[in-house]
Amino acid sequence: MALFQLAADSDTAADNATLREENRRLRKVCQALMERVESGASPNSAPYAAFERSVLLAEQVRERTDALHRTLDELSQVNARLLAANAEAEAANLSKTKFLAAVSHDLLQPLNAARLFASALETHALPEASQALVGHIGRSLKDVEGLLGTLVDISRLDAGVLHADKAPFAVSTLLDALAEEYRQVAAVRGLTLNYVPSSVVVESDLALLARVVRNFLSNAARYTEHGHLLLGCRRRANGLEIMVGDTGPGIPEPQRKAIFLEFRRANQSQSGHSRGLGLGLAIVDRISTMLEHPVSLTSQLGRGSLFSVLVPFSVPAPNAAPSAGASPVAYAPKALPGSDRWQHDPLQGCVIWVIDDDPAIIEGMQALLGSWGCRVRAAATVSALEAASDGERPAVLLVDYHLGDHRENGIDLAARLRRRYPGLATVVITANHEAALKRATREAGMHCLLKPLKPLRLKMLLGTLLENSA
Amino acid sequence: MTIAPKNSGIQIAASNQLNPFQAAGELAQQLGHEHLGFVLFFCSAEYPLEELATALGGAFDKVPMSGCTTAGEITPLGYDRGSVVAIGFDSRVFAIETALVDDLEHFDLSRAQPLVDTLLERCRQQAVAPVNEHSFALTLLDGLSSREEQVLATLDAALGRIPSFGGSAGDDNHLTHTHVYANGHFHTRAAVVVMLNTRLPFEVFSTHHLEPLAHKLVVTEADREQRRVLELNGLPAADVYAALVGCSVDALSPSIFAQHPLAVYIGGQHYIRSIQRVNEDASLTFYCAVETGIVLTAMRPAPLLLDLEVMLQRVQQRLGATPSIIGCDCFLRRMALESLQQLDQASALLRQARVVGFNTYGEHHHGMHVNQTFTGVAFGALPTSGG
Repeated sequence: MALFQLAADSDTAADNATLREENRRLRKVCQALMERVESGASPNSAPYAAFERSVLLAEQVRERTDALHRTLDELSQVNARLLAANAEAEAANLSKTKFLAAVSHDLLQPLNAARLFASALETHALPEASQALVGHIGRSLKDVEGLLGTLVDISRLDAGVLHADKAPFAVSTLLDALAEEYRQVAAVRGLTLNYVPSSVVVESDLALLARVVRNFLSNAARYTEHGHLLLGCRRRANGLEIMVGDTGPGIPEPQRKAIFLEFRRANQSQSGHSRGLGLGLAIVDRISTMLEHPVSLTSQLGRGSLFSVLVPFSVPAPNAAPSAGASPVAYAPKALPGSDRWQHDPLQGCVIWVIDDDPAIIEGMQALLGSWGCRVRAAATVSALEAASDGERPAVLLVDYHLGDHRENGIDLAARLRRRYPGLATVVITANHEAALKRATREAGMHCLLKPLKPLRLKMLLGTLLENSA
Repeated sequence: MTIAPKNSGIQIAASNQLNPFQAAGELAQQLGHEHLGFVLFFCSAEYPLEELATALGGAFDKVPMSGCTTAGEITPLGYDRGSVVAIGFDSRVFAIETALVDDLEHFDLSRAQPLVDTLLERCRQQAVAPVNEHSFALTLLDGLSSREEQVLATLDAALGRIPSFGGSAGDDNHLTHTHVYANGHFHTRAAVVVMLNTRLPFEVFSTHHLEPLAHKLVVTEADREQRRVLELNGLPAADVYAALVGCSVDALSPSIFAQHPLAVYIGGQHYIRSIQRVNEDASLTFYCAVETGIVLTAMRPAPLLLDLEVMLQRVQQRLGATPSIIGCDCFLRRMALESLQQLDQASALLRQARVVGFNTYGEHHHGMHVNQTFTGVAFGALPTSGG
């Protein structure tokens, strides 16, 4: 290496001056190199250092970066596979849910017919032994129906197809009816029901809230051996707390969370009375989550339990008081079944039209309504119906919502009929539990009943409708 | 003067009209089509730049453009001067996004990273090709800003695995004003970062034709801000360098610098540090960063044409018969070719290899600011089905 190109090659002629000069330059070179070496070890933002770093980065770090990126690529591939697997699992779960909903729905139809037949049969004059058997059949069918309904609800809730339809209503419209119903249930079990009425207006989905409170009540009735049940409300700062208490065995602390899961029941020894799948509180949990109504439980072993759900107060709208036409009449305060109403039975002799595309349902309805004294005209189409009705004006129209794939739906058909018969009271019957459909019937000024049809509820609704139109 | 290969996604145009409006009109006529997504251009610094900016803005309407001034252009016909060459990119094949960096002094990682992320995100939204493995960055810098090293190193850190290359703008060897173009205007002391995301296969390359000699020079005094070397081996730098090449200090000129380059040796590679000029005080100003204590190795040129030919052949082998190439060619290489009277032969090689580009005041390669190289990107054809 020739560091100094001008280095002297004749040492004979070397004089002191040349050597001194060379020495000076060597010192300078050494100094510069030392400076460079020392500055190279410290983090340096000087331009040349940046260049040097880039060069070294190109050599070393880029290799490591590549290795790192390869690892990241592998990870993202694994991630993608996991996502795909997850999507598959979700799809499988969804299809299972859909399958369950479809099967349940299909089972509801024949069950509905069976219930109608059984109810009709009860009104026939039968030997006592047969009468008891018919009663057993009816109750068994009711149990099946209850279980099936629960399964449908769970699958709907899981599939996310059930949506809340919140509206303001007086809580008494819900609790009065439930109190009446469970007073009888409690009486059968030798219990008393203490009901404290309240007229507070709350905002919720009436049907879903009813499921919650009904579950509380049926659990209380099921597990309480002695004493009484309590149904009442308490005003809280952020809403009305609807409470159901009992004097049952109480729930041990460790079980209090678990009972809200599927297929769990407290105190398994009570098998004599429990017919449920243990899905009740799981439904409560899902519904209350969906409605955003917190549920709470307090319990003392040996003393009893208190289940409650907190429902927000209704924010009163300026001029939109819950109008009579827009709320389900069956629950409207003025339409509560008063005891005197049944003295002059409005159903006697009234003309009821039934449109359904299922012959078994038509037959069942004819039997049931006929047993209540109604004059029933039932058919699959309007034209068939009108042909059979001799120009008589119908008092109430019962129409199935789903009239086959290629026909108009029940609401449209009813709307068409109501142009000919203005003000015709209409009940749309459907197995479709979607809130949107309920809202559509309400907006059309019609009423909606869900399958499986509860004969008692139908009877009450018919009574109310006929009384209103009278 | 148009070459419009079918389905390559790249169209080339050039004009040597001196009138900026006529030049812009010619380019627009050659490049304009409904899928024109971006235009990259390199223009002689002799154009009245404000008028050229207006003319280009009018001629290409809303098509985004970037570019810079040159120390000579490489057109489809080879080396040229006083002209403008432009590359049109098809938006079906390229997603291209640009950013202007007008504060080179404060361009740190906290600015570079969001800039790169934003460019990549915008490219991603155009969904032309996956961003990973299909993107590279092109950098154009004011060649007299003396900020190349820091800006490029910072940008490279932000780019991570994304390859980058580019060039420093020139001004026909006047060394007074170099400009980059973005957002409709020419800028000094600024940089343009162009992110190209493409379905085409591509390769970023860099080559030089220089070999080391035995002589070593130690920089014993330097002014890093001015890129000036005051002393080599303890003596005035110009004296030492002139003695090394065997001429008088007065005879030192760019063509001598081109034929007798100096390099630093880092990590087993030589990187050329090109001399820009001799100053009154016998100091040497460089085109790139220098520092006290660095060791410069004297280099000698190997046959440039051979090196260029070998490099172009290699690229062709890897990417297929006729790739399109955008090249940043150091103006000192051009000067060396001129003094060897090999400019026409080089032009022929560039023409055959379908190279367009410009002569730079420094090239950029993976965050490094290098000199006296031919650095660029070569595009292959669309994989299959391109027909």
